Parts: sequence; structure tokens; C-alpha cells
Amino acid sequence: MIDYVVQQTLNALSFGAEYALIALGLAIVFSIMGLVNFAHGEVIAIGGYSMMVMAAIAFKNPIIIIVGAIFAAVIMAIFLERIAFRPVRYADATTGLLTAFGVSLILQNLFLLLVSPRPIAVTSMYFLDWPIKLGTIRISSLQIFETLATLLAILLLVLFLKRSFLGIAMRAASLDFEMVRLMGIRANRVIATAFAISGLLAGIAAIFIIARRGAVDPTLGFNPVLKAFVACVVGGFGSLPGAVLGGFLLGALEVGMLVILPQSYGGMKDAFVFAVIAIILVWRPEGILSPQKEKGDKI
Amino acid sequence: MKIFQSSKSFHQAFWGATLLSFIIALIGLLVIFFGERYHLRLVYAAYVNLLVVLGLQVFMGNTNITNLSHSAFMGLGAYIAAICVTPVQIKKLSLPDAPWGLNTFELDALSSALISLTLTGFLAFLTGLVIVRLSGIGATIVTIAILVIVHSIFMHRTDIFKGKQAFFGIPQVFDLTSIIIISIAVIFIARFFRESKWGIQLRASSDDEKSADAMGVNIFKLRLLAWTLGGLILALSGICYAYYLGTISARPFYFSHVFLTLAMLILGGMRSITGAVIGTILITFGLEGVRFMETGPVILGLKFPEMLGLSGIALGAVIVIIMVVRNGGLVGNFEIEQVFIKTRKKI
Repeated sequence: MIDYVVQQTLNALSFGAEYALIALGLAIVFSIMGLVNFAHGEVIAIGGYSMMVMAAIAFKNPIIIIVGAIFAAVIMAIFLERIAFRPVRYADATTGLLTAFGVSLILQNLFLLLVSPRPIAVTSMYFLDWPIKLGTIRISSLQIFETLATLLAILLLVLFLKRSFLGIAMRAASLDFEMVRLMGIRANRVIATAFAISGLLAGIAAIFIIARRGAVDPTLGFNPVLKAFVACVVGGFGSLPGAVLGGFLLGALEVGMLVILPQSYGGMKDAFVFAVIAIILVWRPEGILSPQKEKGDKI
Repeated sequence: MKIFQSSKSFHQAFWGATLLSFIIALIGLLVIFFGERYHLRLVYAAYVNLLVVLGLQVFMGNTNITNLSHSAFMGLGAYIAAICVTPVQIKKLSLPDAPWGLNTFELDALSSALISLTLTGFLAFLTGLVIVRLSGIGATIVTIAILVIVHSIFMHRTDIFKGKQAFFGIPQVFDLTSIIIISIAVIFIARFFRESKWGIQLRASSDDEKSADAMGVNIFKLRLLAWTLGGLILALSGICYAYYLGTISARPFYFSHVFLTLAMLILGGMRSITGAVIGTILITFGLEGVRFMETGPVILGLKFPEMLGLSGIALGAVIVIIMVVRNGGLVGNFEIEQVFIKTRKKI
């Protein structure tokens, strides 16, 4: 029994790590410019497609492929900010959300048009995945890597935000962007950095998603981002600790549903997860760890 | 109880809706007299989308909260009506394991539609109780949750909804003429709601929630009203869909349809009924052109390659360009009767 609990906890951790990683990428952009970046999923997909391309032009070294994929995702995120999101930077949240939906739709269909509507095998990340047996517990090395990589990414992000100049500027910008600009810090730089970080996190997520699925298709990032979006909202949109908490909560919830629900209801997992999320939002409309708005703060 | 603030808003709403109805009826009649059989099907589908866009406009246009669950309510309306109206012999065949005796009764088209409207309207009311308490992004995420939940139920409960397979044998009740009449009725409903005191108060609250609240606007109640009315219109669109096509499946009631109708509303301008109608017309015709290009046609002796996904790119581009260039949509706050009726001067 105890083995079973440990096993499922590890599963929940690795699911949660993936959501947390993606949710962080969404939250860091939202906290600064109030944009719900639904095109984040396509940044992940770009990571996946770049692995496909690199494998096809005979890069065998996995380090090159990993670095290349992350690099591609970062470039893509910065590029999207420049061409699509800069014009709507000061618009309301609805405009930003719809723009991001449009961008996501365009990119998904570009993949479909230029590459293929069918999944394409990418096997270069399989080396990350081998089974590990600890007593009676069976896990995959991938789960460990994923959890560790997420923890490491969170740690580095916290260091960056607390210690570096740009990081402090970003935290200040999430409170009062105008003030940061008045202090002589360029808005473009702060926002581009936020997108670069979100791209970096998306690239890391892409590596693990590809390692698990072994194939890339146009909707690779859509469902994970939908879940991560939910994680963000539940944790408290715009709050980075909230995104991490929401991600792990969602992972626990998904694994919990798989354990509790009878086999025949397996297909309904998402329905139950989303129902629980809706209930949490009714209980706490601003999310669990939403940033406190002080009275008299500017709206 | 007074519905309109002044007789002027009533007149505007009436004439605006009449003009739009005229356009809608004209397009429909042209197709009925000159169109070929496959045109009829396409145009019927366009009218169903018009109903969806109008249902979406009632909530989204007046409250400025992005709703992504509309296709779910359309699906609910379609399936409930279909289950009620399909003859028992066919249901015995297609739904042999249906629970609660769903395959042991059949009703006439009108009562099926009424049951569907009542049930979907009730579900909209219940979900609305949740939605109106949230604001902005939180509300949108719950609408996504509704979409995902309803879609999973459609896909998983194959004993009732047949999932990915087709639910067939729905008798054909409507034709193009009936949906033109329904569209006109819905245009009037949506336009009257927009100009009613509730619509005006709602739009005021979406512009400035705190001020409207301070002036005594009951935002929760009005949002709930708009959400439920929108849900009813969406259910009606689903019923129209099922009553013409004869077969339905779960797949069309998901994200691709959500984006299609959203693009229609955004292109025209979600704050006005004129915008909703114009957006629907433009995207419907535009998309037919793009679909033609998608198949790789030969034009002027040039063979174009097959380009799958072109229509998705076009839709996405429409959304992005409108949002970047003119985020109120093509017409913004403009309504069609303003061409003829002088409204108040801008201050």
C-alpha cells in the first residue's frame, strides 16, 4: 500500500512539474504586461519541430539538440513579442487574449501546412527515458529528470529575480510598470526578457514532452498549455509561486482522478479535473495565491 | 416595467433590426431561387453560424468577457433536441444501451425543441451563477472548463451521444426558409436586448465596472440575464443545426468551431449587432474562397499546390489583424440605422 502511495506521489510530482514549468512561462509574461499568452503552446511546438529538423540534418549529439531546441523556443518567443504582442501591449486583457488565440491558430496551421498534419517521430530524446526500479516502485528516469529540471529552473529563476538588476526591474514592473519606466529602464528590455524567460521554460518543457511522446504534431503544445493556463488561474494569475503551486496541484489532481475514478471513466478525467478547478475558482475567484491588491492602489 | 430608457432607443433598435433582417432575408432568398443544392447546405450552415455569433454577441458584446463555451451550449441544444425527436426504431438501432429509457420515446419537433431550450437554458443559468461571480480571465477560464467538460461528456458517454460517431436519423424539420425567419427573430431579440435599459447598463458596466456599480447597476443580475439569454440563442442554433443536417457528431462542437465563430464576431465588431452580421457574412464568403484555394485549384492555367491549413491561417490572421489595427472590429459601436437616422452629436 505504502509503495502504491509513493508511486502515485512520484507520478503526480512529474505531471505537476511539467505543468508548473509551462505555467511559470505564462505567469511571468502575465505578471508584467497582463497578457494571457495562449501562443505559448506553439513556442513549445517550435521547440519540438526544431528537434525534428536538427535530427534530420544529422546532429547526433543530444546536447546540441537540447540547446538548439531551447534556443529556437527563446527566439520564437522574442519574435512573437516583437511582431504580434507589442502592438497590443497597452490594450485591455481581452484584446491581448484574443490576439494570442489568433497567433496560436496561425502557427498551428502553419505547422500543418508547412510540415505535416500527422505526428512525426522524433526519437533523439529517448535516451532520457529508462525504467528504474526501487524495491517495488517502478518509475522512469524521465520523471526524475523532469522534476529535478523544474526545481532547478525555479531555483535559477528565483535567483535571477532576486539578485540581478533586470530581475529586480521585472519584479518592480509587475507592481507598477509606469514607475519602472520613469526610473529610466526600457520597457522593451523588460518585456523582451520576460518573453525570453518564458521561451526558455517552454523549450525545457518541449524536451520533456518530446522525450515522453517521441513525436511532434501541430497541436503538441495546445493541451499542455490549456492545463497550465488552468494551473495559473487556480494558483492566482500573475503570481509566480501561484503558478508553481497551481501546476503541482493540477498534477496531483490528475493523478488523483486516475486513481479514484473507475477504469471505465478514464476518458472523463479531464471533465472531472476541470469541474474541480471551476469549484476552486468559485471559492476563490482570484486564485489561491493572487497578488494582494492594496486599497487605493492604481487599477 | 419599462424595457427601454426612451422611445428613441426603441425606434433605433427596431429600424436597425429591420434593415439587417432585410439584408439577411435578401441573401437567403437569392440563394433559394438561384442556388444549387449544395449551396443550400452551405448557406444553411452559415445561418446557423449567424445564430451562434448573435448568441455570443449577447453576452460577450455587452459584458466584454471572452466566452469560449458557446459551441458547448450549441452542442447541448443540438443533442437534447436530437435525442427527443429521433424515432424510436432508429434509436433502438443507434443507441441500444441508452440509459433512463432515452431510446423508448419520441416527441414531435416542437416539444423536442422546447425541452432542449428549457434544459439548455437551465444549464446556462446554473453555469451563469458561477460565471458572473468571476471577472475577466477567471470567467474565461471557467468557460473553457465548461467547453472541455461538455466535450468530454459527449465523447465519453457514447451510449447517449455516440461520441466521435454520427448520431443519425434526426428527421429534417427545417429548411432554408425557416432558418431565415428564425435568424430575423433572433436579430430582433439581440438588438432589442442591446438597446434595452439592461443592455445599456451592462455596456456601461463593461466600460467602467466601479462607476456603474456605484450608480446602482446590478451587474451580477444583468450578466446572468445576458448569459442565460445567450445560452438560449445558442441552444436554438444547435436545434436548427440538428433539425436540418439529420446527423450530428461531437467533433464540430469544439475549439475549431469556437474560433471560427469568435473570428466572425471579432471581425465585425462585437459591440454591435451590425458588426456580428457583417462579420459572419464576410468570413463565410471569405472562407469559401480560401477553402477553394486549399484544395489546390487550377487558375488561369496555373496549378496551385494543395494547401491544407490555409483557412486556419486566414482565421488567425483576421483575429490578429483586427485586434492590432482596430480592436473594436470593423464597425465598432456603429449600428446600421445610423446611416439613416441622425444620432446625437459626439461631444
